[in-house]
Amino acid sequence: MKVAMFQQAPYRFLPADFEQHYAACVTPRYRELADTPGITATIHGMLDELLLGARSGFDGVVLTEHAQAAYDITPNPSLPGAVLANTLRTEDIDAALILLGRSLGKTREPLKIAEEYAMLDVLSGGRLVAGFPVGLSYDANINQGIPGVDTRGRFREGYELLRRAWAADEPFAFNGRYAQYAHVNIWPRPVQEPHPPLWFPGSGNPATMASVLDEDAAFVLLTWLGVKVGGQGIFDRFWEMCEEKGKEVNPYRVAVVQVCAVAETDERAEREYGPWLERGFHHGLGSIPHHFFLQPGYVPLRGLQGMLRATGDPGIGARLHEATFAELAEAGCVIVGSPATVRERLEAVCRDMKVGNLLAMLHMGEMPHELAEKSIRMFAEEVLPHVQGMWDREGYEHRWWPTGIPETAGAVA
Amino acid sequence: MATVTGVREEIVPVGGGRLDMRVQVRGSGPPVVFLHPAGGFAWDPFLETLSEQRTVYAPLVPGVSPADPDAIDEVRDLFELVLYEQEALSALGLEGADLIGASFGGMLACELQATFPGMFGKLVLFSPIGLWRDDAPVTNWMMTAPEDFPALLFADPAGEAARAMLTLPDDPAARADAIAAATWAMGCTAKFVWPVPDRGLDRRIHRITAPTLVIWGRDDALISSVYAQEFGRRIKGARVELLDGCGHALHIEREQETLALVRAFLA
Repeated sequence: MKVAMFQQAPYRFLPADFEQHYAACVTPRYRELADTPGITATIHGMLDELLLGARSGFDGVVLTEHAQAAYDITPNPSLPGAVLANTLRTEDIDAALILLGRSLGKTREPLKIAEEYAMLDVLSGGRLVAGFPVGLSYDANINQGIPGVDTRGRFREGYELLRRAWAADEPFAFNGRYAQYAHVNIWPRPVQEPHPPLWFPGSGNPATMASVLDEDAAFVLLTWLGVKVGGQGIFDRFWEMCEEKGKEVNPYRVAVVQVCAVAETDERAEREYGPWLERGFHHGLGSIPHHFFLQPGYVPLRGLQGMLRATGDPGIGARLHEATFAELAEAGCVIVGSPATVRERLEAVCRDMKVGNLLAMLHMGEMPHELAEKSIRMFAEEVLPHVQGMWDREGYEHRWWPTGIPETAGAVA
Repeated sequence: MATVTGVREEIVPVGGGRLDMRVQVRGSGPPVVFLHPAGGFAWDPFLETLSEQRTVYAPLVPGVSPADPDAIDEVRDLFELVLYEQEALSALGLEGADLIGASFGGMLACELQATFPGMFGKLVLFSPIGLWRDDAPVTNWMMTAPEDFPALLFADPAGEAARAMLTLPDDPAARADAIAAATWAMGCTAKFVWPVPDRGLDRRIHRITAPTLVIWGRDDALISSVYAQEFGRRIKGARVELLDGCGHALHIEREQETLALVRAFLA
């Protein structure tokens, strides 16, 4: 199993009772809550922790894109991505740079994403995983002003343009519905052949999963709920579809985020990390109002009817603003404990769901930097080596992982 | 809301057969066109009463009809929407008909009148969007939490009119479908006004030649009644009426007063 470190950049100094005074973490006023020391520690802490992870043996580092929000201050992941890319190259660290990623549903400059990803592939020495999220509704529709009904059309068109721009030998004109370019001839191009691995984050929409399989790309379940809760029903469906389409059931086709924390003992891990993780959920996804995820037009009518008609217990995902650490741990949203506990639980859920790429989220919310570093070190030393070999015996080929610059790559004759 | 009887739907191919415009029709008498607001279309008491003396034609913005939600994909921008609306109305023989537009529909009515001066009859605007003042920004209704909608639309959000319009069906599935339909309708109409409802109407509105009545609720929380004068002074000869104790959904909240004004003006 590949295990990468998944990192966001939550503002690390929100007040403990933030959720009682602010309606949402996607609209609070910057100057009311943030200051220079705080924002510096937030952004630097995020980068330092990722670098520590890369240097400690994680198979990759993962970044996401979210603008105008307190829970992930990464308006363009290509920027920290460039810092990481250069470090991977200069320190010869064999880790993947996984961007999940620049949003083609949100952007008004799709060609810029083709260029940025190509640039990052060069900078990192062919270690880029190119992620293609549609973009969350509040981010695409509110922050970027894209009409909800255009989000998916823009995504599809932008992706088509990007693939053509990467592959084309001859310059071409692109007459899209949303973007028009008279002359597409981007420099540089990705250095991986034929292109960097393609990963598609989603939340389990069957249509999305089907197109991921058709594209022979990897599917990423981008959630804070973890493998067990987040993946319930979704991975079963994915593997069913995989078989229906006659594709190999290969765990490396899927990746999923899992919040983890490691300390010397279960008791100590709970005591040290529990309060921070609980706050992280309350102040992060728990503080995004429902309608910000569902701006009118973002979800097509039929899908919306299905969502609204669904009966039954919405589960812990609907209570992230108030869920206690005990509830989060019990449900499996967080896997926290001694190295042995974390190993055992990770192996169990990943084997159960056939997960080949684990994206471990080791920092959340206002967790102090030193504590995050402790968790990263302990995870790297005492969990990683045990879970990395999880699928080795089965002999699956990982076709969705960066190759580096191919040895056959030569000069233009 | 009880089902209104005597409604028929005209399906009019437009755009060289690219899509169908759906037009709801009810009543008898001289035709009048009603262009619906952002949240979709319903035969509310105002329209029901109006249709006793006039034949009300209500073209739905493509996609708004749950029978054909993907139709919105066939409309690229506001200009195409205006052309499709005109094509449908002309095909139904409605050149010369009076236009009433509410909120989003008010903007659309202005666009039709400005693009095709002289083609339609009189123009009635219920608190239209379409102009923008930095000192009086239009409230962002897309970001408004569902529980805050009544106060956005009505001066008296607890009043009978508000309840009649906003009460959802008891049946869970029907309730879900009603919320989904209204949300999708807002998504379809948002395509032509999001993120800022200013698509340059200010630069075309002078072309309107139709006799115009602008009605506004003094307590409009969605788009301030200062805009009543903005429309009034840009449309030559326009008459402006402000309704006391009235919010944005004025023909719901002040149904009788609105009816009286509209009937007298269109007579």
